[in-house]
Amino acid sequence: MLSDVITPDLFAAALRIATPLALAAIGGTICERSGIVNIALEGIMLFGAFFGTATVLATGSPWLGVIVAVLAGVIVSAIHATASINLRTDQVVSGTAINLLALGVTGFLMELWYGHPGTTEPIRTLQPVFHFTASGEGVLNEIWRWINGVFLSHTPIVYATIVIALATHWAMYHTRWGLRLRALGEHPRAVETAGVSVARGRWVAVLMSGALGGLAGANLSIEQVGVFQENFTNGRGFIALAANIFGRWTPIGSYLASLLFGFADALQIKLQPFRDVVDIPPQFFYMLPYVLTVVVVAGVMGRAIGPAAVGVPYEKE
Amino acid sequence: MPVLELRDVTKVFPGVVANDKVSFTLEEREIVALLGENGAGKSTLMNIVYGLLSADHGEILVDGEPVKIRSSRQAIDLGIGMVHQHFMLIEPLTVTENIVLGREPGRFGVIDIGTARKRVAEISERYGLRIDPDARISDLEVGLQQRVEILKALYQGARVLILDEPTAVLTPQEVRELFAVVRSLVDEGLSVVFITHKLEEVMAVADRIVVMRDGAVVGQTRPSETDEVGLARMMVGRDVVLRIDKKPVACGETVLEVRELVVKSDRGLDAVGGVSFQVCGGEVVAVAGVGGNGQTELVEAIVGLRKPVSGSIALKGNDITHASARSSIEVGVSHVPEDRHRRGLILQFNIAENLLLGDHRVAPYARHGVIKLREVISMARKRIEDYDIRTPSEKVLGSSLSGGNQQKVVIARELGRNPELLVAAQPTRGLDVGAIEFVHRQVLAEREAGKAVLLISLELEEVLSLADRILVMYEGRIVKEFAADEADAETLGFYMTGGGGTKLEATPPEASPAGAGVGE
Repeated sequence: MLSDVITPDLFAAALRIATPLALAAIGGTICERSGIVNIALEGIMLFGAFFGTATVLATGSPWLGVIVAVLAGVIVSAIHATASINLRTDQVVSGTAINLLALGVTGFLMELWYGHPGTTEPIRTLQPVFHFTASGEGVLNEIWRWINGVFLSHTPIVYATIVIALATHWAMYHTRWGLRLRALGEHPRAVETAGVSVARGRWVAVLMSGALGGLAGANLSIEQVGVFQENFTNGRGFIALAANIFGRWTPIGSYLASLLFGFADALQIKLQPFRDVVDIPPQFFYMLPYVLTVVVVAGVMGRAIGPAAVGVPYEKE
Repeated sequence: MPVLELRDVTKVFPGVVANDKVSFTLEEREIVALLGENGAGKSTLMNIVYGLLSADHGEILVDGEPVKIRSSRQAIDLGIGMVHQHFMLIEPLTVTENIVLGREPGRFGVIDIGTARKRVAEISERYGLRIDPDARISDLEVGLQQRVEILKALYQGARVLILDEPTAVLTPQEVRELFAVVRSLVDEGLSVVFITHKLEEVMAVADRIVVMRDGAVVGQTRPSETDEVGLARMMVGRDVVLRIDKKPVACGETVLEVRELVVKSDRGLDAVGGVSFQVCGGEVVAVAGVGGNGQTELVEAIVGLRKPVSGSIALKGNDITHASARSSIEVGVSHVPEDRHRRGLILQFNIAENLLLGDHRVAPYARHGVIKLREVISMARKRIEDYDIRTPSEKVLGSSLSGGNQQKVVIARELGRNPELLVAAQPTRGLDVGAIEFVHRQVLAEREAGKAVLLISLELEEVLSLADRILVMYEGRIVKEFAADEADAETLGFYMTGGGGTKLEATPPEASPAGAGVGE
């Protein structure tokens, strides 16, 4: 049984499932580091997935779909930026509003454009980057089978996400942008008195998180599933925020935490066929990633301290 | 030609004229003290200069050229630097990161941290401001944090340095160091504006003194042409008694008796390590010490906010070692906490509600758990009058009162209860001379009424003028006891910093530049 569960597939699935979580989590990291809470990531992902799918349906080009998904994320996040930076509304309220808006607008446009609720027609998806074969006997072949299965079987955005995690992490600690970003979420007035615009820094961060959320949506629809469904994201935006916390507000931490969630989800999928053998209700397995989220957010893994000024609207005197 | 000149600067906030046609000049290599009570408009004026606020009318000239300063960036570019009263430092970041923030060396957006560290080291060397460039701000003491703020301004190329209440958070030793730094900065060609409401500091450090009251400049003078009494009169607009004469009061029965008290800090260390003393009726006993030497924990143990590990506390012979805060109030202990915003008041409550706190269960203010508003309001009105709380009504929120009036509310509540023992922790912190005088009078009135007073203060001037006996606390122990007439500021400062004990890192008392803020 164990050899049926622990396969290259399992780890490949973990990487795949982790990808949209990680993108949104890194978006959340960047946004919260600037001092803005972004619980709108759920809705941003949904918008990205929908407009990405719609673009592929209209044009047949998956890459164009990815671009439109990212743009949709940026545009939606601009609403959040306007509300929370310029109008200084409560950031949780603004985020919730966007999440509700996303459900409503995508459902409405489904009806309007495709004449039915539920699921769209299948679309052309992005294919895996590499196509190596793995066969034969022996230890070396077995190792190759694992490497190929786990690491070389993925679609472009999966790889892009690893690059994004490493690059944003490096940038956060080695660039002007990163230093100012880290400062913004801790003590915005200190940033202002150092002659740097708080509003501009925060706008950039929110828009970046929107782009990453849109890309996460594109990964879900254009790479993984190949359709759009209503409420497609199903809480992934919130799990991503938990991953951001678990990852201590760092991009690499967010990525690794997302991997953990991805692994939990991949495992429950793998375990589904055995429910007759071990006599555990399937709901128990479905539950695992969400239980993990609650455990993480409740701080069982050690107390995580976020940016000091996160969620507090900044007002010039 | 002045490096900085303000002409008729006016700034109006809703309902208040914060600056009313203020004119001000700063010459090169000059230290100008901007003196005034809290709320006189000093910080508003300098925030206008630093681009954090914009003036409604008036002109700013730098090197004789009229300029418009709309942001801190523009102020920095004009060579103006400011050290704010509440530090503008990012705690999790390093010294270097904080200093270079906004002007990071490097190419293509990548910070060259090596160059950054080198520049910080150069400036720190040049001005004699030693600092570890890789230390995290959160690990630094307040005095060093302030040093980082000054370095930041110098790194940004400041020629004019504005220091907003720089001594409010410093120990006497740190104040002395700061004054030396300010003088060396002036030697290096800088010009300094020093905002303060402390008279002895002005006399010690300023070349010229500009006094503000109610948003307007009410006078200018030099230290050689005036004295503290004269300055206080200009600042407050009436005669102020800086050092109140005490009437002799005979010591009554022992009210507070603390024996071998051991109290742990939040971190679990022995903050108070076996302290014994008594306070009798009609006596003010002051605990002097540098902040963080166990005073806070001692006070909390006495008023029932922290459980002692061992030892005993007795009030008039009754054991209150393990009394809760509630029973401690009931037996007659009143407490003026050191932090009036966090512990003294509930800022979102109005004055009447704040005055009621602690008495909210007892007649005549409450019956069967229901508060009797009429009684509360009449009590509040009486206290507002008795304690001269300046407010239009008892319904005003705590948060909208000035610091002095907030403290009056705390004192009115605590003394209105007619306690046996008053524990006053830093009761004049952040207050201006007028309010300090009021607090001091209240403390001495308690003493004359035969009550016991335990005063905890970091201000040696205050300790010396109020106390009958002085206990010096260092690292959780009472290292020295003085009768009031045996002590002076220098000797106290010596023992406060560990002198005379086993740890002899402190230097013996020596002649200091004009008392350096610790009083003569």
